[in-house]
Amino acid sequence: MNDTQDQQQLQALRDFFFAQNAAQLSDAYAALDEAVSIDLPKVDDWEAVEFAFNRLFVGPKALIAPPFASVYLEPEPQVMGKSTLISRQIFEMLGVQSPWQGTLPDDHLSLELDACIRLSAVRQAGDSPEVEDLWSYFLQAHLDQWLPSWINRVRSAEQLPPAIHTVTDILAAWLADEMRDLKSTEPSIGL
Amino acid sequence: MDKLKQKKMEKTLSCNSSRRRFLQGLLATGALATMPIGLLQPMLAEAKELFSDADYQIFRNACPRNCFDSCSLKTFVKDGVVEFVEGSPESTYTAGGLCVKGYSYPRRVYSPDRIKYPMVQVGRGSGNWKRVSWEEAIDRIAQKILKIKELDGNLLGLGLDKYSGNFGITHYGVEGMMSSLGYTTRFAGTPCWPAGIDAQNYDMGDMWTNDPEDMVKSKYIIVWGGNPAWCSVHSMKYIYEARRKGAKLVVIDPVLTQTAAKADLYIRPHTSTDGALALGMARHLIDKGMVDQEFVSKHAVGFDAFKKYLKEKVSVEWAAAETGVSAAMIRHLAEEFATADPATIWIGYGMQRHANGGSMVRAIDALVAMTGNIGKEGGGARYGHLRTWGFNYNAMVMSPPEGSKGIVGGGPAKGDFHFGGDEATTYSNRNFNMNQAARDILAQKESPLRMLWVACRNPMSQNQNTALMKKAYDSIEAVVVVDQFFTKTVEQADIVLPHTTLFEEYNVNVGYWHYWMALNEQAIKPMYEAKSDVQIAALLSARMNKLAPGSCTFPLETDTRVWMEKEFNQGIHDLFGIKSWKDLKKGPKKAKLASSASWHDRKFKTPSGKYEFFSSLAAEHGHAALPEYRPKRAATAPLRVITPHSKFSLHSQFQNLDYMADFNPEPFVYVHPTTAAAKGIADGQQVRVFNSLGEVRLKARLTGNVPTQVLVMYEQWFKDSNFLVQKIIDDTPADMGAYKTGAPGTAVHDQFADIEKA
Repeated sequence: MNDTQDQQQLQALRDFFFAQNAAQLSDAYAALDEAVSIDLPKVDDWEAVEFAFNRLFVGPKALIAPPFASVYLEPEPQVMGKSTLISRQIFEMLGVQSPWQGTLPDDHLSLELDACIRLSAVRQAGDSPEVEDLWSYFLQAHLDQWLPSWINRVRSAEQLPPAIHTVTDILAAWLADEMRDLKSTEPSIGL
Repeated sequence: MDKLKQKKMEKTLSCNSSRRRFLQGLLATGALATMPIGLLQPMLAEAKELFSDADYQIFRNACPRNCFDSCSLKTFVKDGVVEFVEGSPESTYTAGGLCVKGYSYPRRVYSPDRIKYPMVQVGRGSGNWKRVSWEEAIDRIAQKILKIKELDGNLLGLGLDKYSGNFGITHYGVEGMMSSLGYTTRFAGTPCWPAGIDAQNYDMGDMWTNDPEDMVKSKYIIVWGGNPAWCSVHSMKYIYEARRKGAKLVVIDPVLTQTAAKADLYIRPHTSTDGALALGMARHLIDKGMVDQEFVSKHAVGFDAFKKYLKEKVSVEWAAAETGVSAAMIRHLAEEFATADPATIWIGYGMQRHANGGSMVRAIDALVAMTGNIGKEGGGARYGHLRTWGFNYNAMVMSPPEGSKGIVGGGPAKGDFHFGGDEATTYSNRNFNMNQAARDILAQKESPLRMLWVACRNPMSQNQNTALMKKAYDSIEAVVVVDQFFTKTVEQADIVLPHTTLFEEYNVNVGYWHYWMALNEQAIKPMYEAKSDVQIAALLSARMNKLAPGSCTFPLETDTRVWMEKEFNQGIHDLFGIKSWKDLKKGPKKAKLASSASWHDRKFKTPSGKYEFFSSLAAEHGHAALPEYRPKRAATAPLRVITPHSKFSLHSQFQNLDYMADFNPEPFVYVHPTTAAAKGIADGQQVRVFNSLGEVRLKARLTGNVPTQVLVMYEQWFKDSNFLVQKIIDDTPADMGAYKTGAPGTAVHDQFADIEKA
């Protein structure tokens, strides 16, 4: 996968997990289909996917897999924890902030994927060891610390629509690829 | 990434200047010019300081729950996040401490389980929800209201079920929203304390209690049918202090509660016979001549009639047989109580939630009165008060739109917290009995309830007879629920609207037990898309008037601070000795009391102006004029069931939070070992508790803390459980409550069931 495809895939993943309704889910899914080499499962009933998506990530019932990092990173699961502020700090280092700051936790999966997109663009624009360190930190010390738990929760949900399962798998594969890349460039004494 | 680099990055992240230096470096290289457009936005110039090096911002908050203690809080906020809360040290009542529920507040705000967005359920109870915008949700609601008006020519088909989930004064804006739409159906009454309110009104002309802080002056304290060690922890310090100074603490309760465990003397009468115990004590005092003659002759009427009743109908031996408390103990207790000066009785709300609850409160009032303890500091028949609630109710008092039609000759509205005028109007709202809501909903044939708005309540888990409630809800075309969590009622909603927590809005709060007033400041932005009740009303009003000009009179103001400010008046300023609400920013204020004793001037608000042992008004209302014994409800199943409050929840609030779930993960039925042995039930065994209404399945816990023949289950809502105690509790009313609150109370502790191994 080249850098452009990688960016398109991340954007589609970001938009999928930020969707507010069936139409937005469907649009993001179509964009993802364009960006990946595999064929995504065909969806006949986007409304059913929307219902399942809301059960997992939106509500109103207690969420099966809350898409907020601090729920997985804090010793006592909650949103707006200390780890949420780490995301906010990383955004600040990139000169951006969430327009929903203070209302939507900054460590919502899609906001973090958006930061990844931005950080990738910055990495491509120049060769800075500080930027590489920030990327390694964000991936290794943050995303990889919570996303696997979140992915497990999604995958083990009952009656999970194949579309959500596949999109989650793509996200999991992206994370695994990036972690592999990082490890291949790191010295052997790691974390 | 090696540990050194990670540590370095963590240092950079946590340091404002290091992060800024990093960003400046990026800007210098031009790398940021290539940044794609996405969700995150370029930092606003004014938001350069996203993280403050300064200390916490401190806000004033007030716990708005239906609780004796109504605590004032100090909230510590950093970087826009509530980090922790403390009890306000300025209030001598809250005294810097909170209960387990209060300390859990940040867990409530930041629980991942919060309802975040307006959502629409496709098929009630299906669990299939769509996220919608506020505009769409409000439009759907407005369209439905207009449709009802078009079909029926009035809005009586629109009902409001709202009570005590939030006692903040601006939350009466929910009632205001309904009034601003027209004449609607209201769920009148209170499931809480109405029988006792009526009882105290018959006896003294109002419900008015001594300042709880003056319990330190008491020489003898009886806590009768209440459990302050769980439900009013801040009151316990006064009881302890009184004991330290030599007072005796007696607890009368069928359950050996945490409060009882701390008492000098614990008395366990048979449930629902407390009236007999009080009357037996009164009879003994008559026999011994231990009556405060000055009080009963100068400040009371009807004492001779009461004395005659006691002599003819009550004996200590009868009371002993009725209550199971020995005659010797009844005599001993009566003499100790009458001898101590001052002596007080705290009448718990649990005690009056019986079919004979009001009559029991009257009997206890009489005991306190005849010993001269009414109107005395450190004395008193303590129950509750509304003396500090004289706000404007600006958000509540709304005119109906011109041409609105309602019930003809319906009379003025009633309710424990009804503060509107009592003036006669051509039309009025239709009143349903909140405590028999299901029956009233199902009884309407000609003018059905088409739409229900539920706010500050969770009736599907808290109203009695769950099956009947479900049937009633099934008959309603549209259900809108405003809440913070997915309760059993939200499960049965068509539309749910997310509500702000106390930290996300302005408000003002007072208590019905203590005499403090506390400001509630907005400490953080509302999370997700939550809105306050008045903001929702304003949105609805805007949409209604867009669709049908003149169809709603609710103001379009959405600033909760403005709503809060408008609740203050000179009376409140004078009572609390403040010049403006802003004085409350320095901390809560206590009402300036002429005396800590209620009725200190012995000027009662009864028709006679005196304490009425004999109440003609009670007789007019179909009760005995005297505090006569009213026998307990006849059993409908082999074992008695009582459903008191848990330590970890306030009705259906708090138990769903992780802190509470850690300590109290599942419900139990508490069974006496003797009863359990007869049924072959072991501790921890799964059982079913059942009666003609239904059943609940849960584990049994064997304990001598409950009497034989009595099952105890705490009324709670567990978020991941189908347990609902109300499945087996019927809607039998208490004897009193209709006079002052519009409907009789509930006899939730006068219930019956059987138990067996599941």
